[in-house]
Amino acid sequence: MTITQAPARTTTAPAPTPRRRVPLEPYLYLLPHAVLFFLFTVYPIGYGLYISLHRWDLLNPVKTFVGSEFYRNLFTPGTPQADFFWKTLWNTTFFTIVSVPLLLIAALGLALLLHRPIFGRTFFRAVFFMPGILTVSVMGILWRWMFDNQIGLVNAARMVLASAPPIPWLSTEGLAWVPIVVGTVWWTVGFNMTLYLAALGNVPVSLYEAASLDGATPWQSLRFITIPLLAPVTLFVFVTTALASFQLFGQSLLITNGGPSRSTQSVIQYITEEGFTNAQYSSAAAMGFAFGLIMLIFTAAQFGLMARDVKGDEG
Amino acid sequence: MSTPLSRLVLLTAAVTFAVSSGPANAQGYTGPKVNLTFLHGFTGPDRPVMEGLIKKYNDSHPNVQVRAQAQPWGTTWQQLPALVASGKAPDVVVINEDQITGFVARGAVSPLTPAELKGAGIDKSKFFGPLFATADYKDQAYGVPISSVAYVMFYNKDLMKKAGLDPNKPPRTRDELLKASLACTVDKSGKKAGQTGFDPKNLDTWGISLYNNWVGARAAYAAILQNGGQMVNKDQNAAFNSPQAISAVQFLVDLVQKQHVARPNSTEEAELAAFSQGKVCFFPSGQWYLDRFESQKMNFGVTFMPRVGGTVKDAAWGGSSHLTLPKQPSSYDANKRKAALDFMAWLSQPAQNLTWTSTGSLPTQAAVAKNATFEKAPISGIFDRLDSVYATSGYPWVGQVMAPFDQAWEAAYLGKKTVSQALNDGVKESNKQIEQARKNFQ
Repeated sequence: MTITQAPARTTTAPAPTPRRRVPLEPYLYLLPHAVLFFLFTVYPIGYGLYISLHRWDLLNPVKTFVGSEFYRNLFTPGTPQADFFWKTLWNTTFFTIVSVPLLLIAALGLALLLHRPIFGRTFFRAVFFMPGILTVSVMGILWRWMFDNQIGLVNAARMVLASAPPIPWLSTEGLAWVPIVVGTVWWTVGFNMTLYLAALGNVPVSLYEAASLDGATPWQSLRFITIPLLAPVTLFVFVTTALASFQLFGQSLLITNGGPSRSTQSVIQYITEEGFTNAQYSSAAAMGFAFGLIMLIFTAAQFGLMARDVKGDEG
Repeated sequence: MSTPLSRLVLLTAAVTFAVSSGPANAQGYTGPKVNLTFLHGFTGPDRPVMEGLIKKYNDSHPNVQVRAQAQPWGTTWQQLPALVASGKAPDVVVINEDQITGFVARGAVSPLTPAELKGAGIDKSKFFGPLFATADYKDQAYGVPISSVAYVMFYNKDLMKKAGLDPNKPPRTRDELLKASLACTVDKSGKKAGQTGFDPKNLDTWGISLYNNWVGARAAYAAILQNGGQMVNKDQNAAFNSPQAISAVQFLVDLVQKQHVARPNSTEEAELAAFSQGKVCFFPSGQWYLDRFESQKMNFGVTFMPRVGGTVKDAAWGGSSHLTLPKQPSSYDANKRKAALDFMAWLSQPAQNLTWTSTGSLPTQAAVAKNATFEKAPISGIFDRLDSVYATSGYPWVGQVMAPFDQAWEAAYLGKKTVSQALNDGVKESNKQIEQARKNFQ
């Protein structure tokens, strides 16, 4: 090694043979992943794009090139795609806007309560975490029954406790979101809570001691110590929860089946309907790409937020 | 019918049946030995029954060996186009009524010529007409029915007696249904519909279950056909907003909003629970709930959907599964097709169909419906009209028609739109989607 290295240092150009050998090796390491990546990511995306630009059906040998027709449909008033794509996209966005703050605040609240050395702490942590291990079908059927217009537990409780008339949750626009949002919070809050619990464990106790010596109220400790120190984990929880909420599918499918009048239909459910119920694969592919693009922009904005936060931490 | 004892009785009956109809087997496949692949979606408790039938076929047909594969229906719908396009389709595939015309129109299934059917001993006229026609497209047959479900009306005999009705005479017409429903409807203070002080919001018992999901919408589907209406016109465009359709659906909506003999804003789960608890006289739904009411030891009956829509004809919605032969490459072994037809003929014979009814399926042909096994079974209450069960098929865009139709029923039933507005909006949306889908079939 030393013998070959020594002349290389003195000459201006390194020996050609070792130079050629070295770059090949890292690519060989990358090869297995690259093959899978091209096969299962790049190729499907490319093929999907091809489908979205043609009138495509596996059984039809003629696959006419139609260019941007299926993308233009989304912006042509009067087409079902223009009507329902934006409506269901808004539904999904609405769900995200409502559920993300709830999932943040509820998770933080639970974590603050269960961080303190109260009796049965481990038990309650398990209780709030446990719904998350259920499949979406179990969760969906459960909340559908809870909020049933006639026989639901919620309406039964209203009648027994307040002798109030039953509310048709599942068939009233707007109200139909209640079981979906409440069910989702119940279902997923435990995971966020666990993240917050871990972060709370890292807040130095000495800060609280110093604050209490200075006469800070519990609220002031929370406001000026806990919340600022939890900011990085809050941002992480916000980003992951928002992305998960945009993927709303199973909850609204099982609880309301997108109804009434498509008011709770998620954009993914609509794309699935277009593709597999209506056998309009090209149209569904185009909508998939449109939705993907919107998600990319949204994710880029969030990455920007995260990057700024990291910089802030360093500075 | 799901109890082990009744299964045994059915199987015994099936064996007797098979022996008596033995000669029909004589004209089977006689060519060289072939292996067939058979793809179906009977993955539940019906799977062992299907496997038993296939074993029986293999044992009695040494020159044909059928290898079956069961997988969820949805998986088959997604895979079939790729399998056909690559020339690797199974020899026989079971396709359901809501998918079949789509696959036929897209060229995934090959037609069964009259000569082929005759050669295999499949007699179309022995099956219930509309059921066999489910797999027809442009006057050609594409499949043979082996399994069938239907929309029926369950009725609570005890509650009918209490309301002063004859529990052995379920309503058959519009007027009878309305009268019976009014008799069943009592509010919590004991007042009947029509009496002063009657409170429709606090019903104790009521006449009929209507609800807003796709199963609920099948009551409206039946009503439209009963009044001479159609889902699509002869050009296969959506047409469920004809005057006949509007008047038929209006009667159902009036039961909720005007007569107050059905609960508004109800769900299938709630009505199912109400019927189980003896709160409602009539529960129209799928015949697949039979097991549930039988195991509850309820005093109930099953009748064919009464003519709620009009007087033109009897009609109820039904679903079915059909044996089909997918399109194969030109190099396909002709013997395999002959053997496949033989297998189809055998599996659809009365003996096998009778065995299959142990899974909860309805008979596919009158010969089976007449079997003594059913004499005392509650389900036999609909057997006299099994030839009036109509599937959603015959046009390639069932999804594009039924989804807007189900939405229209929901809007009308919930009172969000008038019946004509709801149906007109549904037809408009459906036709926009059909217009786009049509371009795929040229």
